[in-house]
Amino acid sequence: MYGKGLKPLSIATVAMLALSLSLVFFYAPLDGDQGFIQKIFYLHVPLAMVALVGFIAGGVFAIAHLRTDNRKWDAYSYVSIHISVIFGVAVLITGAIWAKASWGHWWVWDEPTLVSFLIVFLLYATYYPFRYAIEDRDRQARYASVFAVTAGAFVPLNFMAVRMAQSLVHPRTFATAEGGLPGEMMLTFLVSLAAIALLWTTLVKFELTAKSASGQVKRLRRALDAPAGGGGSRIAPEVS
Amino acid sequence: MELLFAAPALPLDKAGKYVAGAYVVFVVLLVVYLAIMAAKVQRIEKELRDVAAIAEEKKEAQAAPGRGSETPLASHGSGGGGTGV
Repeated sequence: MYGKGLKPLSIATVAMLALSLSLVFFYAPLDGDQGFIQKIFYLHVPLAMVALVGFIAGGVFAIAHLRTDNRKWDAYSYVSIHISVIFGVAVLITGAIWAKASWGHWWVWDEPTLVSFLIVFLLYATYYPFRYAIEDRDRQARYASVFAVTAGAFVPLNFMAVRMAQSLVHPRTFATAEGGLPGEMMLTFLVSLAAIALLWTTLVKFELTAKSASGQVKRLRRALDAPAGGGGSRIAPEVS
Repeated sequence: MELLFAAPALPLDKAGKYVAGAYVVFVVLLVVYLAIMAAKVQRIEKELRDVAAIAEEKKEAQAAPGRGSETPLASHGSGGGGTGV
């Protein structure tokens, strides 16, 4: 069920990523201030935006789980957060590389955007030990959903707080008095954003499909083995 | 902090290494993730083979006269090598 449409989605993702890379390196003009190093922007910023939206999506799915008690939504929430954490690792590493090239430092502690993203990332890094510390699968799913809702609400609040901090170091690309990005750069950015969003969706669907297949095989095995078969894996939510 | 404002644009030969580094990190992360998922899918495939083998044995046991109800299916338990494709 989860695998339906995975193949065309994967093909669209690869095509979009190829188009995005082509635009980044052959179409978008060089930035007058930062030069070639600004090309990292088309990877770093979409990754950050998609990761943050993914965290919020995890919270929304968790609300659906708490409202309906349907394990499917817990799996959606878990996988959304899982893929967003992986994207978060990429954001932190590409951001550090960009910072080193632009500012001469791998990390700047008095820059609110960097530190706030690190806080969000570390918050979600605690999701795994929190989840797996609970043995009972129903309680595990319920508590993880409460965590996902709370942390998901924190993400936009954190974002707004950073915007209000008015840092002069981290560039405000989309809302400057000078009018933001020029047309070619904006188009390239939007294509890159779409490509990364598609990649996130594909990976979420892929992981859900694998979990669903694993869960169904376990159910089948329990049905074949013995009437009093054991419980499923507690490493990740089992979906069917 | 003033150092940050003063940082000039890097020349292409230096900037290229950083840009390549950032994109390579992204690709490496993606490949590592896909490798982990590939291992997971292989494990699922193995489990599926085991389950298929149990189902076939059960079917054979039911087909053989006088043996159907005595077949100890639970002896397959967890693990065990895969048989057949």
